[in-house]
Amino acid sequence: MSDNTACAIVYADGVVNKQLLGDLIARPLSRLSLPKTQKSGGTGDKNADKISKTNAKTTDKSDKENSSQANSSEKEFLEKALLFPELKTADDFTKAEKEILDGNSLLLVDGVAQGFIVGAKLLPNRAVMEPPTDVTVKGPREGFIEDVKTNMSLVRKRLKTPALRFETVRVGKRSDTAVTLCYLDGIVDENVKNSVKKQLDGMQIDNVPDSSYIAAMLSPRKHSIFRTVGTTEKPDVFTAKLCEGRVGLIVDGSPIALTMPYILTEDLQSSEDYFISPFAATSFRFLRCIALFIAILLPGFYVAAQLYKIQLLPLGLTLTIASSVRDLPLSPSLEMFVVLLLLEILKEASIRMPKYVGMSLSVVGALVLGETAVSAGFLSTPAIIIVAFSGICLYTVPNFVETGSLLRWLFLLVAGSLGTLGIVIFAAFILIYLVSADAFGAPMLAPFSPLVTHDLRDTVVKYDMFSLTDRPRLFHVKNKTRFRPPNADAK
Amino acid sequence: MQSQKTVAYPSAPNQNQTVLPRQVAFAAAFLLPIGKFLEAPSLLARYAKGDLLLPALIRFFIEALVLTAVLFAATRSEKTLSERINATLGKWSALVYALFAIYYLFAVLLPILDLEKFAYAAFFDTAPTIFYFAVFFLFSAFFAAKGIKTVGRVADLCLFLFLLPFLALIVMSFTDTDFSHLLPFFGTKFSGTVQSIRVTSPHFSDVALLLPLIANCRFTQPKKQKNAPNTDNIKGGKPILLGYAVGALLTLLFFAVFYAVFSSLAPREHYAFSKIAQYFPALEVIGRVDLLLVYLLTVVLFFYTCLPIHYATGCIAKVFCIQRRTWISALINVALFLFALFCNRLYNTFYLVIANRLAPVFWLIADLLPLFLLCLPKQNNFTPRPPTSDNARTTRRSTKKAKKEPQNA
Repeated sequence: MSDNTACAIVYADGVVNKQLLGDLIARPLSRLSLPKTQKSGGTGDKNADKISKTNAKTTDKSDKENSSQANSSEKEFLEKALLFPELKTADDFTKAEKEILDGNSLLLVDGVAQGFIVGAKLLPNRAVMEPPTDVTVKGPREGFIEDVKTNMSLVRKRLKTPALRFETVRVGKRSDTAVTLCYLDGIVDENVKNSVKKQLDGMQIDNVPDSSYIAAMLSPRKHSIFRTVGTTEKPDVFTAKLCEGRVGLIVDGSPIALTMPYILTEDLQSSEDYFISPFAATSFRFLRCIALFIAILLPGFYVAAQLYKIQLLPLGLTLTIASSVRDLPLSPSLEMFVVLLLLEILKEASIRMPKYVGMSLSVVGALVLGETAVSAGFLSTPAIIIVAFSGICLYTVPNFVETGSLLRWLFLLVAGSLGTLGIVIFAAFILIYLVSADAFGAPMLAPFSPLVTHDLRDTVVKYDMFSLTDRPRLFHVKNKTRFRPPNADAK
Repeated sequence: MQSQKTVAYPSAPNQNQTVLPRQVAFAAAFLLPIGKFLEAPSLLARYAKGDLLLPALIRFFIEALVLTAVLFAATRSEKTLSERINATLGKWSALVYALFAIYYLFAVLLPILDLEKFAYAAFFDTAPTIFYFAVFFLFSAFFAAKGIKTVGRVADLCLFLFLLPFLALIVMSFTDTDFSHLLPFFGTKFSGTVQSIRVTSPHFSDVALLLPLIANCRFTQPKKQKNAPNTDNIKGGKPILLGYAVGALLTLLFFAVFYAVFSSLAPREHYAFSKIAQYFPALEVIGRVDLLLVYLLTVVLFFYTCLPIHYATGCIAKVFCIQRRTWISALINVALFLFALFCNRLYNTFYLVIANRLAPVFWLIADLLPLFLLCLPKQNNFTPRPPTSDNARTTRRSTKKAKKEPQNA
């Protein structure tokens, strides 16, 4: 400082905006001087000693009072003089250490018994861009990134209300990851919010590399193949869900935000449905629904029809299939198993493989493997067509791909061993499972079971926006009205 | 990584009471009719011929009367029927549950044999072994281990699972219907009608299948209790009667269409709903797509067949005061599988004994015994007691405190 008072800035190199520190901390400090009456004197070492000795008892009462008065005035002076937007005080080393590791800097001034935490983080971040898993033709294209602060700002940008609350909990014994609970006060179901918070507080985990860890920990059914927590990469979807009374979680280091409660029909909805005509949206949802059933059941039904119930196929198709499978060395179920396995391997490889190899993989996979296998008499054309169609259909509902893929395997297994009877029994089994499953107070098959007629307006059928004036009744929101249509007052 | 304990969510819509009147109504309208679509149409056509609607109508009328009496008994108290039975009979209520457990196990025998035969006919071109059908008992054991709330939710689901394929099948079958086959009315001797009522008794004992749902339904809101959890149930038993009427109408429509399609061949056409739309012209080109609709209805049929097993499991659990129903459900289903394994060859004998000679058992348990519910006292002292002015104030204070807590946090 200008009066030769020693200062020190402690930071972890690589995560701090040094230019900001220089411009807004170091330069102003070099021009400042602490008021002499308030300066308690001493060396730079003393400052550190003072911080560590905050809990030490002083014998002289008057000294203590004088010292604390001097400290508070120095603190106020520095806070006013520095004009840094994010400046906090640190009383002990544990807190200071955490802040430094989190990317902040610690400013120590000789003679001041407290340290100052300077929020001048500069963590490596990628730019906000369209999320690859949730592409839309119409509508907002912004997506969450890995930085929790940026994600919070993306949410705040869309919900400029004081009712929007962020409560950050640190989770992870080693990672100390910031998990931010988001909700709209006055709308959210307090029971859900409190129970999520309670679970977050009690979470004992070493490292949180992604939000999926939190989702798994929060899930009421740990071993279920169905998701119990909703996910989204889009802030517009996230805020819409908050407005419906859900609780959201943003996890530092993950671009995927979580929403609770989650119901199965959410997967059929796309953000685009709300920006196009309700008729088009309804037709798209029906299409997705049908595609989903085709994706899961078609391979199984094909095998079951061949093995147990040929009546399911029309005569012309039966003859075509008969001619193509006549010389096959594999049984229908084994053939379907092999083709499905090929599809899954190709899919997995194409995701992991470098872009440049991807093209050649497509050629090898689609043309060489498929074409050659058919011409060699190893596989039949109908089986490849069915698996390809099923694979395409599954991607109409991107959030259901993992579960759908598993279900497809299971249905194929029961169809191969028990025929259509197996498929129907297994479907009934899944229905009973889903019907009896609740996640965060919401039944998974709602609003179909239990029936919530009001909420059916935004499921497979999408009503126009003026019919969706109320929030979903399923979530027990406090404020039930979402908006008033323009002519409501006139009425 | 430590696993977290599951947290209870008190705001779940259906947790305050187990079954809603709407769900009972849906069960009556969309779950129970499917039990009459397998063998009942051909049996009615066999004895009553073109007058098959008459015995069905009589049976529905009798069941509706019994149902009205049961609903009257259930809706005039703040307590559920189940609570009132326990309170009135005390330890002896176990006897009632035991009797109904035996009845449900007895009542499920024919539906299981029917379902087995139907499964072989509708799902296989070849003749499979009983072990293919054994999987059904796995499903049944899973279903029966669930609580009564699951049955209520299944009833909700049946609205979609039953109504859409049923209407589609009826529309597809209209191309071959000739309703003049049903004429003249009263063309069959009354003895034939009586006989058809007798043999179809197992299929029309609907009240017995609705009874456990009604018994877990709270119809009347306790007086003076503020902040009552659910208002959906104050309407009384009218929705249930309406639901039963809808179910009866759908069944009668099905019988009429069935006889209009098959006429004199109807007595030989078993598993009616799988055959009713088979003459739809487009099926020759696109294959038996109607079977997909039949399979959807079969899911409902599975639920229906599991109902008595579910109820029997619940009754036995109450008799022996067992909380976990898994083992009871497993044992019952193993026993039923063994029954199906060894007795499926004696199908005709069983039919003769159960549907013909033991028909009075169904009348007695399903139609007469529920009438005794009218003798139950009202017992309007609802527990937990409604808050007095003092403890209501305390409750309000604690609620406010609870609301403040998160803000402080």
